Amino acid sequence: MSVLVSLLSLMFFPAGISLILSGMLYEWADRKLVARFQNRIGPRWFQPLADTIKLLSKEEIKPHGVNNLLFYGLPIVALSGALTAALYTPILGFSPIYSFQGDLIVALYLLSLLTMCTGLAGWNGASRFSLIGATRSLTQLFAYEAPFLLALLGPAMAAGTWTIKDISTYAGDHWMFLAQPVGFVIALIGLMGKLELPPFDAPEAETEIVAGALTEYSGRGLALFHIGKSVELVVAISLVTAFYLGGVGNPLIFLLKTLIILLFMAMLQSMLTRLRIDQTVGMWWRFGALLALLQILVIVLLKGWLA
Amino acid sequence: MRLGSMFMDIVKSFFTPPVTEKYPFEKPKTAPRFRGRLHFEPTKCTGCNLCAKDCPADALEIVILDRAAKRYVARYNIDKCAYCGQCIQSCKFKCITMPNNDWELAALNKEKFTAYYGKEDDVANLMDKLAHPGTPPQPEG
Amino acid sequence: MTTETILQRAGEVLAPFSKGNSTPETNRLDVQIEASDLPAATAVILSNNLGYLSAITPTDLGKEVNKLEVIYHFCEGAAITSLRIHLPREDQPDIPSVSDQIPVASFFERELGEMLGVHVVGTPDSSRLFLPDDWPDGVYPLREDFTIEQAAPVTPRETLPEMGRVGNKFTVPIGPQHPALKEPGHFEFAVDGEIITGARMRLGYVHRGIEKATEQRNWIQNLYLLERICGICSHTHTSAYAMGVEKLAQVEVPQRAQAIREIVAGLERIHSHLLWLGVAAHEAGFDTLFMYSWRDRETVMDLLETLTGNRVNYSISVLGGVKYDFTAEHSHAIHKAMDYLEERIRYYLHIVTTDASFLQRTRGIGTMSLEEAKHFGALGPTARASGLERDVRIDSPYGAYHHFPVSLITAENGDLEARFEVRMKELLVTCFTIRTIVDNLPPGELAVRFPRKIPAGETISRVEAPRGEAFYYIKSGGGESPTRLKIRTPSLCNWTSALNKAVGHQLADVPMLIAGMDPCFSCNDRMITVRRKNDSQTLSWSQMREYGIKKYAETRETK
Repeated sequence: MSVLVSLLSLMFFPAGISLILSGMLYEWADRKLVARFQNRIGPRWFQPLADTIKLLSKEEIKPHGVNNLLFYGLPIVALSGALTAALYTPILGFSPIYSFQGDLIVALYLLSLLTMCTGLAGWNGASRFSLIGATRSLTQLFAYEAPFLLALLGPAMAAGTWTIKDISTYAGDHWMFLAQPVGFVIALIGLMGKLELPPFDAPEAETEIVAGALTEYSGRGLALFHIGKSVELVVAISLVTAFYLGGVGNPLIFLLKTLIILLFMAMLQSMLTRLRIDQTVGMWWRFGALLALLQILVIVLLKGWLA
Repeated sequence: MRLGSMFMDIVKSFFTPPVTEKYPFEKPKTAPRFRGRLHFEPTKCTGCNLCAKDCPADALEIVILDRAAKRYVARYNIDKCAYCGQCIQSCKFKCITMPNNDWELAALNKEKFTAYYGKEDDVANLMDKLAHPGTPPQPEG
Repeated sequence: MTTETILQRAGEVLAPFSKGNSTPETNRLDVQIEASDLPAATAVILSNNLGYLSAITPTDLGKEVNKLEVIYHFCEGAAITSLRIHLPREDQPDIPSVSDQIPVASFFERELGEMLGVHVVGTPDSSRLFLPDDWPDGVYPLREDFTIEQAAPVTPRETLPEMGRVGNKFTVPIGPQHPALKEPGHFEFAVDGEIITGARMRLGYVHRGIEKATEQRNWIQNLYLLERICGICSHTHTSAYAMGVEKLAQVEVPQRAQAIREIVAGLERIHSHLLWLGVAAHEAGFDTLFMYSWRDRETVMDLLETLTGNRVNYSISVLGGVKYDFTAEHSHAIHKAMDYLEERIRYYLHIVTTDASFLQRTRGIGTMSLEEAKHFGALGPTARASGLERDVRIDSPYGAYHHFPVSLITAENGDLEARFEVRMKELLVTCFTIRTIVDNLPPGELAVRFPRKIPAGETISRVEAPRGEAFYYIKSGGGESPTRLKIRTPSLCNWTSALNKAVGHQLADVPMLIAGMDPCFSCNDRMITVRRKNDSQTLSWSQMREYGIKKYAETRETK
């Protein structure tokens, strides 16, 4: 029986198909909010679904001279990384399906796997646009990963555990964003860096390098990367919400909290110009890492003092 | 130096309706001077052909069926026309107008783009002659 | 110095080279010199501050005269000094280059070489500028005996010069198809990591052969042909052309018509700069500013539709005046629009100068000093942002600018931020000027009678397009069509400065640098070659139409 339940929850709800669909809904919400901030109408609710179906039905053009295994395999690996990370996070407001000691690190690394696959795919692509995009993508990974990790570490240290489920339970009783405001801000902005949303979308700068690392992808490969990105959106937002905005409780209230975070992200997206890659790295290593370290220091001192 | 100087604008827009025109569900009003498809008034035409000579796109041609009886038909290519309005200026007898309500001119079929204007029997006469090229009409270019 | 003193001084210093002087118009001095004297004459003009090289007009004088004519025009204020050179009408006669003294001349000389078949000795770059790689050698479009059949394509060969190895060379091509470019053009940047080490460019992708086409249409038809050179500076092209032809025909345009032309020119400037603001913001990644400025641009376009009948390509000028009048209702609409626009433009000026994330992309980038701007021959707001005081509306007022002048806007820094600032401030001045004219519209007729045949002669008219100075050289042989029409648009002169500034910057700054000089590719290219992918075929206009009609007929039959 439990095997059947596991299979159903893996394939249909809350992971699997419903995860992919909710990824698309979140993407739609983001685009609609940005459009409304720009005084436009924005897409209708089925737009990301339509995009994905269209991409899946188009011909896949493989550039001459790329490594076949990498070209066809990387989108699959990227998507699986994102889907697997979802197994340990409280997506859609439900408790994580699986959990074990230390799964915070595993989940975060699985999310980074997506970015690394993008970088590798860009290097593998035969055009110079994708190579520049891959370089920028990996550079940005080095930039925001440390502060983002540290920001998520804050609640972990406060809860005294590395298991996401336990941290969410702890966060449910304590309001972390009030207790660790700096960490919250870093986590929020780090989220935008991780998802390569403006102003941190230099790896994908349309006006400079066409489409960055994914320039040479089309059809099914591009669709899988696209789905992977929307799943990453859901997973990362759920993590930040669970840690800082009061853990897992009522699924509907959880959904509302994630939407509030999405609203803030949409607002930041509309207000700021795209940063150049050197400006991104400079900013993160100067302010981001320093502030996150400061936050950790404060937590350590407080814990030591309170204990 | 401020960060996010467009903040007030963004927040205001969130609560105001978007400015996108919802064409084709809501058609916008065109200005009175807007130049739509050409209309030709055959009764005043004298066949001087200045409009055809001055057209930069060679879209207009006056076909003379009978100079003495003043039977003229205008052959107008809707797709060649640049909607500049020079023909209106060149015509001394005000035979040509471009009213502002006829501007949705897309078609699936190129034949619709050649229009003939004139008195009904004149146009019928010309079409008849074109269909049976035994005695072709006399176009004056 | 006044116009007369400039021309007098020019006459004096050029006396040793002159083979004959003439004064075709009141503000022009035409000096005939030998080809070999060209570098010395240029040096003398530059050292005496008698003008900057504005254009080079090549003409084939025909079989009877059996000569090629190349005229170099130097403009200072309202005075134009022209050096006229006659060359034998053979294949590739020699003429010395002046691009060591004037860098922007290398673009003009490339055009001279490929269009007229003149060999410019000593030019640094003799590659093709406009003509495609598969254009046959020895076929020169501006020659009188050119026919379209001669231009059948041959095997293409690469004609751009090598950039030279600098460090780890890795070239990034931008264009002809690229999301950064709104119109096609080809740029190649050699990059080392993210830093640019070399740049070269190629134009001609939307070349339509307009200069040659004007010779086959009558004076009235050309008005509309030239309007469609460009969508956002269309009115300036018609104004320049109409002004030139009216000068040749010695017809005085009524004051009311001139004032209306100036109002529409001002509205076009607002339209153009708002469009540019949006595009530049989009290149920087600031899509919100892009959406908002284009939303406000709709106000201008709706106003222009109310006033002239069309949102783009207004067609309000005719030879001898304007078509439509402005009533009290129109004046009211203009005032209301100006109220709204002034507020928004002030807001954009504020954003562009204070938003921290935007300034990170524009402050200190692409800095061009005053000396460099002069050296590179920059025009328009790009030059004025470096402090160079060049504006045709003030140096050499035309039309209604005598009665309704505008003030000069310059900035000192010369970087991208300064260019944004200059353009926005220019718009505020324009709004003020438009209001003044609308309140004081002079009474009078709208248009006067105009002859169909224009008397023989040649004239130069210069107007200030939103991008800089547009130069028109019109030559009439007394008939119903012009004998020669040469158009030099401002973007061609600004390319040199943009490319030179790109070296040393990062790749991410390139779209901003190119956008900062407000390029208008359509204004640059003017020729026909229709090519389909694998089978190249050059078609003339009528052949292309027939082909299209036949193709549609076939698809209908097969359905």
